[in-house]
Amino acid sequence: MNLVIEKKQIKNWLDELKKENIVIDSKKSVLPIKQHFFPPKENLFIFNKKTKKLKSPDYKKEIIIICHHLGQLEAMTQLDEIMEKPNPDFFYWQRREKSTLIGLIDESFEVAPGGDLILEKINSKQYKVLILTDKGKKIIKNKFFKEVDKPEVKNYLGEENPFKEMLLDPELLANAVKWSKDHKIWDELAGKCLGCGICTYVCPLCHCFSINDRVTLDDRECIRCRQWDACTLSEFAKIAGNHNFHKTIKERYYNWFYHKFVRAYQEYGKAQCVACGNCKRNCPAGINIGDVLKEIVEDYKKYGKLI
Amino acid sequence: MENLYKPFKVKIAKIEKHSSKVKLFRLEKDDLFKKNKNKLVFEPGQFILVSHFGYGEAPFGIASSPYQDSFIEIVVRRVGTLTKSLHKLKSGDEIFMRGPYGNGFPLDFMSGKDVVMVTGGCGIPPIAALIEYIVSNKNKFGRVYLIYGAKIPDDLLMRDNLKRWGKDIKILLTVDKPDKNWKGYKGMVSELIDEIKIDAKDAVVAMCGPGPMMEALEKILRPLGISDRRIFVNMERKMQCGIGKCQHCVTGDKYVCQDGPVFNFDEIDKNWD
Repeated sequence: MNLVIEKKQIKNWLDELKKENIVIDSKKSVLPIKQHFFPPKENLFIFNKKTKKLKSPDYKKEIIIICHHLGQLEAMTQLDEIMEKPNPDFFYWQRREKSTLIGLIDESFEVAPGGDLILEKINSKQYKVLILTDKGKKIIKNKFFKEVDKPEVKNYLGEENPFKEMLLDPELLANAVKWSKDHKIWDELAGKCLGCGICTYVCPLCHCFSINDRVTLDDRECIRCRQWDACTLSEFAKIAGNHNFHKTIKERYYNWFYHKFVRAYQEYGKAQCVACGNCKRNCPAGINIGDVLKEIVEDYKKYGKLI
Repeated sequence: MENLYKPFKVKIAKIEKHSSKVKLFRLEKDDLFKKNKNKLVFEPGQFILVSHFGYGEAPFGIASSPYQDSFIEIVVRRVGTLTKSLHKLKSGDEIFMRGPYGNGFPLDFMSGKDVVMVTGGCGIPPIAALIEYIVSNKNKFGRVYLIYGAKIPDDLLMRDNLKRWGKDIKILLTVDKPDKNWKGYKGMVSELIDEIKIDAKDAVVAMCGPGPMMEALEKILRPLGISDRRIFVNMERKMQCGIGKCQHCVTGDKYVCQDGPVFNFDEIDKNWD
């Protein structure tokens, strides 16, 4: 038996969920799902100058998030791992543990990349239900889902994505990026890149941050906030006294790649990229990260082993 | 789940002025700092993140003895927002800290060997903690030297400690611009080699850079015959989280906060950054 939901019932089911939950459709924001667990700016601590007491905001909100791409779910599985190892990030998990991820996926797949529940399109009228966690189980106990003996199952191919194919060999990518340090492409990119950081903000996996203090206008409280940072920004590796460990945009851009494809591979055995194309779509300078990677890999295959 | 970003309160028990821009802060904690199985409060070379709410948080190497559990000392150069605010504080004021973090110098590897320590100006704190460990365990080490350099004599810090350590280890002071009372060396010069009597094959070097590091390497350590593998360097980078997440402290394949701050010179020598 297969658990299915009729396509036309999905909206009704979500409306039912909305009565008791906050339901967020990821389509509505240009920012990736990470924003709900690792917000662009959040208060970590509030220090009262008079009582000298320190407190942290207690996060209680439970949310359900609808994801439309397998890459979004895959990225969340990876980000969970990053935020768990080597040390758990308290503020991330405070929010993450209270969330449920639903995949609403229009392409066929073999392995579920993540999330709590996935609805997979099987024909023009029906979606098959894949329960991945207890949280996912909880939200389908209602009249909208039914058991069907042998539903019609069609195969829906996802968009062709050569960039995604490249990610299947993270070792090759790591070796190629490591090798490419003196490649002319980094000079070319340094000429193009505006150093705005947008690529990292829209990336579902980038997680650089900085921690800064501010004082309330009435001078009663000091608030320690964490906000998204970007390793391509000029201040990223600058310390008091103005020494900058990554002075040029070329170094910073290379460091961005180095983290995603070299350090990430060494730490987690895979690239910190799901080929979603967000960085390319939103880059004001029109840089296509997939093409950059392709050029490096091709040159590495041609010349890399000679050295 | 433990909140690793949460700092705890410490009291400033003492402030000493060490130069025109540098002060030493003694930080006390009511219920004492916890000792590890080797009876150390921290490993020499480790750092803490110090907070002054409203002004921020930054890493500082620990300069006091690792056997001392009632206080931790840091050396603060007035250079940015946080350090300026710390310099305005008085004895008795309270601030926050978290840590200690990082790996520290490889004490077991160093034990039984001759030791040469090299640092400059404000790089002294982690080396100071190591010296405190060494003078508390004199019989565990061979001949021990400290080469401490600075631009001008005023930039040489912890002078009272230098006097005390001088009874147990050989201290070689050098400045780039001596004044008329200066009795030490001028610059990181090769004559320093004549003062250092070690068995290069069984010696270890501990450095805290960047200051005189490269010069000392070329003019002193390599001519002495010490291999790069026996050189350990305490590194500095921008740091925010201290727990391997924020990406600010990276150098090549390593995180200074988690994999360091002490690295084998071999490990970092070829890093592109």
